[in-house]
Amino acid sequence: MSSTSQLTFETINTTVLNTLTRPGKAYWCIIALMFCGAVMGASCWAYQIFVGVGVAGMNTPVHWGTYLINFVFWVGIAHSGTLISAILFLFRAGWRNPIARAAETMTVFAVCIAGLFPFIHLGRAWLVFYMLPLPNQRTLWPNFQSPLMFDVIAISTYLTVSSLFWYTGLIPDLAIIRDRSEGVRKKIFKVLSLGWSGKTGQWMNYSRAYLLFAGLATPLVISVHSVVSWDFALSVIPGWHTTIFAPYFVAGAIHSGLAMVLTLSIPLRKILKYEALITMDVLESIAKTIVFTGIIVGFAYGTELFIAWYSRNTIEMETFWWRAFGHYAPEYWIMVVCNTVIPLLYLSKKIRTHVIPLFVISIFVNIGMWFERFVIIAGSVAHDFLPNAWGHYRPTWVEGGIMVGAFCLFFFLFLLFVKHLPSVSMTEMKEMIHHKTE
Amino acid sequence: MSADAIIVTGLYQNQEETLAAVEKIQAEGFTVTEVHSPIPSNALARALGTKKSRIGWFTLTGGIIGFISGFSLAVFTATRWSLIVSGKPIISWIPFFVIAFELTILFAVLGNVLGIVTQVGLPDPDYEKNYDPECSGSLYGIEVASTPENAECLKDLLVHTGSIKKQRENK
Repeated sequence: MSSTSQLTFETINTTVLNTLTRPGKAYWCIIALMFCGAVMGASCWAYQIFVGVGVAGMNTPVHWGTYLINFVFWVGIAHSGTLISAILFLFRAGWRNPIARAAETMTVFAVCIAGLFPFIHLGRAWLVFYMLPLPNQRTLWPNFQSPLMFDVIAISTYLTVSSLFWYTGLIPDLAIIRDRSEGVRKKIFKVLSLGWSGKTGQWMNYSRAYLLFAGLATPLVISVHSVVSWDFALSVIPGWHTTIFAPYFVAGAIHSGLAMVLTLSIPLRKILKYEALITMDVLESIAKTIVFTGIIVGFAYGTELFIAWYSRNTIEMETFWWRAFGHYAPEYWIMVVCNTVIPLLYLSKKIRTHVIPLFVISIFVNIGMWFERFVIIAGSVAHDFLPNAWGHYRPTWVEGGIMVGAFCLFFFLFLLFVKHLPSVSMTEMKEMIHHKTE
Repeated sequence: MSADAIIVTGLYQNQEETLAAVEKIQAEGFTVTEVHSPIPSNALARALGTKKSRIGWFTLTGGIIGFISGFSLAVFTATRWSLIVSGKPIISWIPFFVIAFELTILFAVLGNVLGIVTQVGLPDPDYEKNYDPECSGSLYGIEVASTPENAECLKDLLVHTGSIKKQRENK
């Protein structure tokens, strides 16, 4: 990273703190647009609550539709944040530092949004407490043999851990803002930074705690998406009941999350003038990792087909044949092309070192990963054991509205974050340049 | 430190200067009470004789409690309604291990947070005492304790070791 060698502690502070100045009209217009989108999504949900879950396109035999597709998609998006912040931290990958904060933030917001979808899918959202192990008059308890109950525990643990990890990482940076602000802003950051003063003893304990956080988040991230995959794999539905699901889901999650990191980082570095911090080398490293995860995902697609053929199980073979050439064939081939073929374009140095193709390909991967979830979830139950139980599923406008609302809510929260909190970790950037000059 | 001791803070531009200054100040017989820095530094911690962090014990304890709680919760809820589902035994080791694993991580992280609160000393309402806001940006601040009589001598020493700012005195 040639340009980072010219960075100093002061320039890092100035670059990041400049992003927290009063935003312009364009920012507020986009924020307003995203807010309206989120309200529209909430209205669609309210309508569904009022009228009943029948307004969604889910019906016999497909009872799991876009709500659970989006749940799995957003959990996947969340995972890359933890990969970048925790796993690459343990591997001491220097290129993670400029994007780690944005990726962690993406994780927190994505898990929150993912967590909304089971509520929406539930229909009667106020009965969600049935899933919690609370003492009650009916002496009814959740059954922890069910993978759906694994999900409740795993997702709530993931949300708690990623939020605490994110906040812990922010503390020294919040102190920097506190020391350079006045009035109400200073008071707010005084509370948020918890009186951090960078004492040697504080740093020693903090560094140890952060390392342990990363060490704990790493197995957690792998377990959470494995648990999500077991929602499917522990059933007997053809196309779902397979041992490859856990690693396949984890690789897919990282693939989609990395693509989302690119989608967010490219406009972020341009708008907030982060070119000196989020260098082309960093974006290139993400692109190379996407090629790697794309190959793993492609291998998983191939393995699924091979196992279906090799098993000689008629129903399994029929399911995969139908996926590739049946009713959902367009969705299937969008999935294959966007997730495995298009990312290979990053093998060209010319493409992966230019922001526009980088950005466009990342969007394609996001689309492909959404369709992967669609094909897995809707595809298998639409075409299971008995021909007289086959059926098709198409999302309704209510589901579409809720989905668009979820995307708007995510970008709304992320836009609020980039203008109010440091979107690049100043402390980690300083550590990185300090170790380079040592 | 006697009751009438004062604290003088010197600010330095980089870690190497700070480290050299700490060693010199200690060699002159003054007590370095604290160093504030913008990034963590093992070298400074060694120079100040900072004890090894004990946060790992909080995390480990949390993890053990989490594992036991997770497993116990799953066993307890299963035994409240002893109905065999899908041929699985009432106390099923593998599914219950998943719950135990997740709660191990959750409680270990909560133990870690407790470690931060108790060991890092956060929240610290008195952080401003002897603290220079420049230390969160790019400078290193050395706090040195001195008797009032030796204060001038200490200030000279700080300037001599490269302190770039007029020193502050705090009781």
